Amino acid sequence: MAVGQLTRARLVRVNGVLLAMLAVSVVAAAAIGPVRIDWRRAFDLSLASPDAVILFRTRIPRVLMAAIVGGALATAGAALQALLRNPLADPHLLGVSSGAALAGVCALVLRPVLLGHTLVVPAAAFAGALASMWIVVGLSRVDRRLESYTLLLVGVIYNAFAGALLMFINSVVDFYQAHNVLFWLMGSLGTTDYTVVGALALYTLVGLVMLLARARDLDCLSLGDDRAAELGVRVERARVVTFVAASLLVGAVVSVSGMIGFVGLVIPHLVRLRTGSDHRLLLPASYLAGAIFLVWADTAARTALGGTEMPVGVVTALCGAPFFVYLLRRERRRAGM
Amino acid sequence: MLVAIAALAALPARADEASPSPRPTVPARIVSLAPSVTETLFALGAGPRVVAVSTFCDYPPEVRSLPKIGSFVAPSVEAIIAQRPDVVIGAPSPGNHEAALALERVGIAVVAPDPEHLAAMPDVIRTIAAAAGVPDEGERLVARIEREMAAVRARVAGLPRRRVLMAVGQDPLVGVGDTSFIGELLAEAGATNVAPPGVPWPRITLEYVVARDPEVIIDTSMGTEQQSGASGFWQRLPSLAAVRDGRVYAFRSDRILRPGPRLPAGFEDLARLVHPEAWR
Amino acid sequence: MTVREGTEGEDLTAPLLDLERVSFAYGRHVAVRELSLHVAEGEMLAIAGPNGSGKSTLLGLLSGVRRPSGGVVRLAGKDLSAYDRRTVARTVAVVPQESAIAFPYRVGEMVLIGRAPHLKGIGLESAHDVAVAEDAMRRTGVLALADRPLGELSGGERQRVIVARALAQEPRLLLLDEPTTFLDLRHAIEILDLLAELNARERLTVVAVLHDLTIAAMYFRRIAFLKEGALACDGPASEVLTEPTLRSIFDADVRVRIDEDGLPLVRPRRRP
Repeated sequence: MAVGQLTRARLVRVNGVLLAMLAVSVVAAAAIGPVRIDWRRAFDLSLASPDAVILFRTRIPRVLMAAIVGGALATAGAALQALLRNPLADPHLLGVSSGAALAGVCALVLRPVLLGHTLVVPAAAFAGALASMWIVVGLSRVDRRLESYTLLLVGVIYNAFAGALLMFINSVVDFYQAHNVLFWLMGSLGTTDYTVVGALALYTLVGLVMLLARARDLDCLSLGDDRAAELGVRVERARVVTFVAASLLVGAVVSVSGMIGFVGLVIPHLVRLRTGSDHRLLLPASYLAGAIFLVWADTAARTALGGTEMPVGVVTALCGAPFFVYLLRRERRRAGM
Repeated sequence: MLVAIAALAALPARADEASPSPRPTVPARIVSLAPSVTETLFALGAGPRVVAVSTFCDYPPEVRSLPKIGSFVAPSVEAIIAQRPDVVIGAPSPGNHEAALALERVGIAVVAPDPEHLAAMPDVIRTIAAAAGVPDEGERLVARIEREMAAVRARVAGLPRRRVLMAVGQDPLVGVGDTSFIGELLAEAGATNVAPPGVPWPRITLEYVVARDPEVIIDTSMGTEQQSGASGFWQRLPSLAAVRDGRVYAFRSDRILRPGPRLPAGFEDLARLVHPEAWR
Repeated sequence: MTVREGTEGEDLTAPLLDLERVSFAYGRHVAVRELSLHVAEGEMLAIAGPNGSGKSTLLGLLSGVRRPSGGVVRLAGKDLSAYDRRTVARTVAVVPQESAIAFPYRVGEMVLIGRAPHLKGIGLESAHDVAVAEDAMRRTGVLALADRPLGELSGGERQRVIVARALAQEPRLLLLDEPTTFLDLRHAIEILDLLAELNARERLTVVAVLHDLTIAAMYFRRIAFLKEGALACDGPASEVLTEPTLRSIFDADVRVRIDEDGLPLVRPRRRP
């Protein structure tokens, strides 16, 4: 077609290829780790052998977690970039992540007092994410209008505020708690609990569906609020729903795995280079690409150093930052828009 | 913001911060900057001369009513000067280096011996005792501590080493490494540390732990009392010997974190978990 | 192009657009004050006036993007704010003055976005949608550019793409905010010729904000002047483009001459 529209065939083909790549990545990553597994014993489902425990309790949940988290971050990033009309927007920009982090850290620090159940911290962090979302939207709404510009500013300020509180907490706790806090913030995809993986999958699915339903609206929103209204979008509603869906994705992810940066920023760009900016393809493709990326980044993080592991955020930043600079320069070289 | 926190936590503790020389006379007013130093001073009988402590100092109980001069990490120089101390005794940390310099500039002596290694402990106590003007008490305390530690060591001597994992955090899993102070205690308690070697606080990949198969797990991130029984986290790794044998312990490690007079008691608690059979 | 359909329950005797004493204020600055105006179906209306006289605001009120703080805007007899936005978008399309586009859409993709108000649910574009978009691109002369990213185009080419997008909405009313500003002479004429043709053949109603009064006179049978948010005068070019009228509206000295085709030519008069 001369016009270059998004066809069903293309949608299926691109996502099909990415899905296949994800499946391969998940299987491969489950086979890779600092410890060599004896594969004859690894499929013993009674989990009496360490090889089986390693495969089914440490690797597979973790790889699944990486896929879900990577996908959620990339999709939220793409949606927020459309919402804010800014290709440099990162899902952690809107305050939801730091609110989640703050609540999570408070729970982490108070946990001995609270008779910790392992899920106290993620639950608190998620509650923090929802509360932050509510606060940021509430503060951004002026005369019942929600403008992207206001949202961005309020989000940035909220981030700064929450960040300051985090630093304060870190300065008053004792040495070992400070360490714990720091490590939690740096992010970790390690989990042995399939219920956490399942819950995360569920929450992110809800957010994902909300965004996919609005994909065309996002194309319109990215042209400007007035343009979107002229094209028939109910702008206020679309903005709020997008923000809520993205916050749900980010909040769920940060609660369980801390702050992992660069995925939400870089993956949508990469995908856009190949698929174009139509959000009906960009959103699902970003999800899958983000999943693939984080699965491998996490594999590197947990394998590169033998028994110790790097925070996955370090790997994503090390890969993400130079790549991002390259992308940026390349875009700047083209005629300005 | 995160970079700043990371930088703060990553600065290594400094080597011995001892200033020129402690006052030859017996100082009448002492300020303590660290919990371990406070305990040591009181054990040396210099308690009545301690006029102010850090906010983290909580033992012996009477120090709770003493004026506080800031935290271990960030002491308040003004508050310290206001106490008119004859000597300030602390332990080196990235945060208090500036404070130490500031105090020396106004002519206040600062003594900060570094208890980074178990072997350095006797000298650390001697330095504190000398600074407090009670060197003989220092020798007595050193002797007592050595005696009590030796008693524990004797109990576990000759017993086969147990594979032990000591964890200070579950998510992510952070362990006590062999190069840390507590790691050294573990080794002396007859344990083989399953954490990856060479790093004081390794962030451990879970599968590595499963492969090393610890027989005893001491988890300081769970609960406030010592209790037997595994938490859900460890239960999900059923192949571990420690889980199968019910040797997963929560542990409040506060006492043994301090290289001070209570160390032998904490050391014994630790050894009892590693080799309970030595106390039957 | 398809036949433009009326909306449900439409009063066919009413003008397509009817503004009744409409006001709009940005905070305390009143941009439009008590303005009343009718636009009949099939009209071509040019809106002119000094900078800051409220022309862009007026366009915003006509498209429904801005809600009046006083008075009523009616589209096809019904209060504009009572429609849902998608219905309005199938009826009214806007070509803005400039477009800052954040993402590297291609020309074809951008024009297809104009079909958004016609899409069913979460669907993809149908063959019909593609045909409409293609037609719009052909008429605006950008079909050959379909594959190019917008960022690589000149200002004029980009403007024509936006016009194509608006036409892809299959509107009954087309609102344009200074459509010829970035276009060279040839392309400006092409676009205006296109608008005139759509108006003549398909009764497309066109309302355009224009600075160039001579061109306005050539293509638009009716010109309305705004000054300080109010309607200063409104009528056919021959009545409205007179030296005293223009002098009072623009506070500038101009010369108006009628050329051999009977069209007014407006030019500024130099100070001696």
